[in-house]
Amino acid sequence: MAKKIGVFICYCGENIASKVDVKELATYAETLDDVVVSQTYKYMCSEGGATLIKETIKKHQLDGVVIASCSPRMHEQTFRGVVQEGGLNPFTLEIANIREHCSWIHDDKKVATEKAKKIVAGAVAKARLLESLETPKIQVKPGAVVIGGGIAGIQASLDLAEAGQQVYLVEKSPTIGGRMAQLDKTFPTLDCSGCILTPKMKDVANHPNIKLLTYAEVTGIEGTVGNYTVKVKKKARYVDFETCKGCGDCAVACRLHDRITSEFDMGMGKRSAIYLPFPQAVPPKYTIDKDTCLMLTRGKCGTGPLCVEACPENAIDFKQQDEEISLEVGALIVATGYDVLDPTQLYEYGYAESQDVITSMEMERLINSSGPTDGKIVQPSTGENPKSVTYILCVGSRDQTECSWCCRIGCMSALKQIYLIKEKLGDDIEINICYTDIRSFGKGYEEFYRNIRGMNVNFFRGRPSEVRPGEKQLTIDIYDTTTSKLFEISTDLVVLVPALVPRDDADAFAKMLRISQSADRFLLEAHPKLRPMDTFTTGIFIAGSCQGPKDIQDSVSHASGAAARALNILSKKEYETEPFISVVEEDLCSGCSTCIAACPYDAISLVEQKEGNAVARVDETLCMGCGACVVVCPSGAMQQKGFKDKQLRAIINACVE
Amino acid sequence: MSIVDLTSMGEQQKDLKKEIHERLEKLKDESAEYCYQCAKCTSGCEAHKLLELEPHEIIALLKRGLIDEMINSDIIWTCMSCFKCRERCPQKVAPVEVLFALKNMVVASGKQIPGNYTAWLQSVLTIGLLQDVKEVTTKDNKTVKRADLGLPELSKPVDPSKFQMMLSKIAVEKV
Amino acid sequence: MTKVVFYPGCVMPTEQYAYEMSIREVMPKVGIELVDVKGFSCCGTPLKSVNQMVTLTLSARNLALAEQEGHDIFAPCSICHLGLSEAKHVLDDDRSMKERINTFLADENLEYKGTSKLYHTVDLLHDVVTVDAIIKAVKTPLKDMKIATHYGCHLIRPSEIGRPDDAENPQKMETILKALGGQPVYYPEKLDCCGGLLTANLPESALTKTGQKLQRVQEQGFDVFVDACPWCHRQFDAKQQQAAKTVGGEIAMPVLYLTQLLGIAMGIKKEKLGVQLNQSPVEKIQVGGT
Repeated sequence: MAKKIGVFICYCGENIASKVDVKELATYAETLDDVVVSQTYKYMCSEGGATLIKETIKKHQLDGVVIASCSPRMHEQTFRGVVQEGGLNPFTLEIANIREHCSWIHDDKKVATEKAKKIVAGAVAKARLLESLETPKIQVKPGAVVIGGGIAGIQASLDLAEAGQQVYLVEKSPTIGGRMAQLDKTFPTLDCSGCILTPKMKDVANHPNIKLLTYAEVTGIEGTVGNYTVKVKKKARYVDFETCKGCGDCAVACRLHDRITSEFDMGMGKRSAIYLPFPQAVPPKYTIDKDTCLMLTRGKCGTGPLCVEACPENAIDFKQQDEEISLEVGALIVATGYDVLDPTQLYEYGYAESQDVITSMEMERLINSSGPTDGKIVQPSTGENPKSVTYILCVGSRDQTECSWCCRIGCMSALKQIYLIKEKLGDDIEINICYTDIRSFGKGYEEFYRNIRGMNVNFFRGRPSEVRPGEKQLTIDIYDTTTSKLFEISTDLVVLVPALVPRDDADAFAKMLRISQSADRFLLEAHPKLRPMDTFTTGIFIAGSCQGPKDIQDSVSHASGAAARALNILSKKEYETEPFISVVEEDLCSGCSTCIAACPYDAISLVEQKEGNAVARVDETLCMGCGACVVVCPSGAMQQKGFKDKQLRAIINACVE
Repeated sequence: MSIVDLTSMGEQQKDLKKEIHERLEKLKDESAEYCYQCAKCTSGCEAHKLLELEPHEIIALLKRGLIDEMINSDIIWTCMSCFKCRERCPQKVAPVEVLFALKNMVVASGKQIPGNYTAWLQSVLTIGLLQDVKEVTTKDNKTVKRADLGLPELSKPVDPSKFQMMLSKIAVEKV
Repeated sequence: MTKVVFYPGCVMPTEQYAYEMSIREVMPKVGIELVDVKGFSCCGTPLKSVNQMVTLTLSARNLALAEQEGHDIFAPCSICHLGLSEAKHVLDDDRSMKERINTFLADENLEYKGTSKLYHTVDLLHDVVTVDAIIKAVKTPLKDMKIATHYGCHLIRPSEIGRPDDAENPQKMETILKALGGQPVYYPEKLDCCGGLLTANLPESALTKTGQKLQRVQEQGFDVFVDACPWCHRQFDAKQQQAAKTVGGEIAMPVLYLTQLLGIAMGIKKEKLGVQLNQSPVEKIQVGGT
């Protein structure tokens, strides 16, 4: 088919022009078959460039456009818009990357120009065969599932609910609140964490648009943007949700009262087998831990379960079962949070050897007045107030052998705890802090740091090599680079500020949702600067520390951002996706079903024909254009729009001619 | 453009720094450039309390190219090669290996080297071992040698001259 | 019987005879046959400060010689074991370096191939002989002796190249000693260096390190101090009194090689294990025959 193709070559300032002779390239382009005009411009992505393209399309009645410029990842969307404004189908545009693939990687101008000619020839060859494509429109189902009920999940849910969306907030543990509920005070304002969190938790519980599903887990997901089906398992609490009044008599009576290690207290305290994680839990309903409850693990509890006896509402129900439900929504926000590195693997710091070496999260529980010691800061081995506390920062952080990244909040949370310890135990208590850098980057953080500097705290710049547990005290040798001296610190309590890591099940979880992780295993954002709440899977967004450790204000910002991004989709009735989906040439299809097995999105099915044979058929709304089916198809019946075999072969042939 | 060390008027030796880094790379060690001076190595250095060796300072001087200052010092010979610095460094830098490189450079330049090293090298060249069979004393003051204890013959290079020749050839090889 | 090539190094066969005696007594009784090879030389590790190429080549040379027998290699000295391991680490990874070194080895008709695994006493006993076999061989258990284990430095670091036990919390000796009926107890100075390699140029400082560790061990009431390297043992045992003088204190700590204590628990006569050569007050240990 004779075409009228226009080739537009960008100087990109000096980026392309310094290594590729743009004028020569333009002249060459016009010698190619079907190319009726070629133009050059300093910055094709500018208004001037756009105008040039549109006018040239009109003037020469073009039906195909090749733009030789930077990577399509930069401006393909923009240029498609320009071409569309010029009156053409946006998918009759082909980008020739002569920057990242050419001018930026070669030094010899002659070589680079020759290569650019080949790249353009290839692009023109494909442009000849490009077809107009229509973007499929997906009907958007309203509503969203938010996975994770920490501050990020809570914020995102409230934003979406306020915008009129139905939100299902799914939280794994029996209550929402997450890490923030475990904190005592927050930096830099020293707001009481529970006091600022619980109103939001109540809002979530009371909001007409939010359905709170606690003690529930997402077990599977199907569908695509605008059209997700999320499978959720509501775990059995063995307590009737409606009847339980949250009085707590059951926990007091429980045969295993104060015998189970409390996860909420980071192992510093105990709970019963039937429990409420903390007093302000939302919902305030008790839960039986099926892994420790005697009735559930052994079938009997002494002469009879004491919780049943104690409960005035008769709410205990050992016969309860898990319940599987399905939620139909248009988008998801993942806000599953983080975990704390277990310092046992850094054996030299003595965490495994001594009770008096604890993590900062464990210290936080000691400081918290509703914690296991009612807010008394104690040395675990004696139960008494310590006379000396030593903080070690960066335990496992910024460490190529453990976690290479900075945990971002370690410095500030240590300074905050130091303030609170001084407040509780008086100025006489000796506090030492061994740091490598103090990262007090946020608003009000430096002022906070300055205050701590003024509070008679011993700052040692250096990282200790070991913590030695002794008979009475712990000994730390630290080389202080500020004074160039080695100090020996004898201390009662050592607090390690450990690295923050993705949750143990992050890998399996990401796989289930089909979203990517970065090298550090945190969930991967679509672009670290410009799209930090998006994932590469359209319709699934990430909020909070599941993307990377961050403090509360950044989590809240991130979460509100994710909600806004989700609303971009949910506020529309229809959502336009990309047209690069697979399509079956049914005459060539033998129904072998290899493509069906290869498709990660379950978008292909076998369809019976009138003639009795079966062929594959692609559901356009589910296909994400990954191309796996095209690769495995033995007959070539499966083709991908915009990347058909004949189009790709044309590029190759043009390049090697 | 220049950077002058006003404290000790040391000259930066970019070529020596490069040589050391190439050597580290050849022997599969991490580049010292990544050090961020946390001094964890010095905090745990077995030779620091007793002999004032500061592994982090060795790396800092290496980064700055002030090699001569180290080659001409006694401090580099205090390392006991306990490897704790390399084991614990969060950036996988190995001051112990840098020190070996510096010591090798001292030897290669023909300067005098401390202690027994020369004697050890001589012994290995001649008999293939650091030392020859020694007489030891038992608890009840008897003196015995290897042969008295029913132990088999000592294993030594079969052809000492061939061995010596091979060794002399390597001695002048650069890493 | 599992055959291993026995690589004795320098210090053990010329001075620390008790280690070799106890190894030769104990190993065959737990299923390890030691194959002796002529022609070994120094591993070169103590010369690393002088010339690293010499060290690399010497280690490769001895590995090449041992490999010829077709068995795995047993190097009971920690210094040797590290030098040989480092050579393996570099040469197994870097073909051009391997070829370079092999051109030198060719002078003696040797070629390093990398076909043999390398063991030390600790992992040979723990991983190959296994604790179960050791338990079966025990005849006179150690009766809850409070034992301080000394792994030393070269045996467990740098972990990056693979060492016989964990760098921060080595437990293989503890496991073996518990199987013998002993009571190994953690002490904060467990990973401290003996100072041995400083003997080359700063012998008094070396003795200070040795003395300081022994003092701390003594203060904590240990019955015996166990090591598994001739350089370490020379410091703690042969030079115990010199070390005591250097740190200005009294030290009377029985120091035994792991294999000596193992032999005692197996009911082997102390004389066969070279106990008469130990300079530290080992007569304090009341177990086993004379």
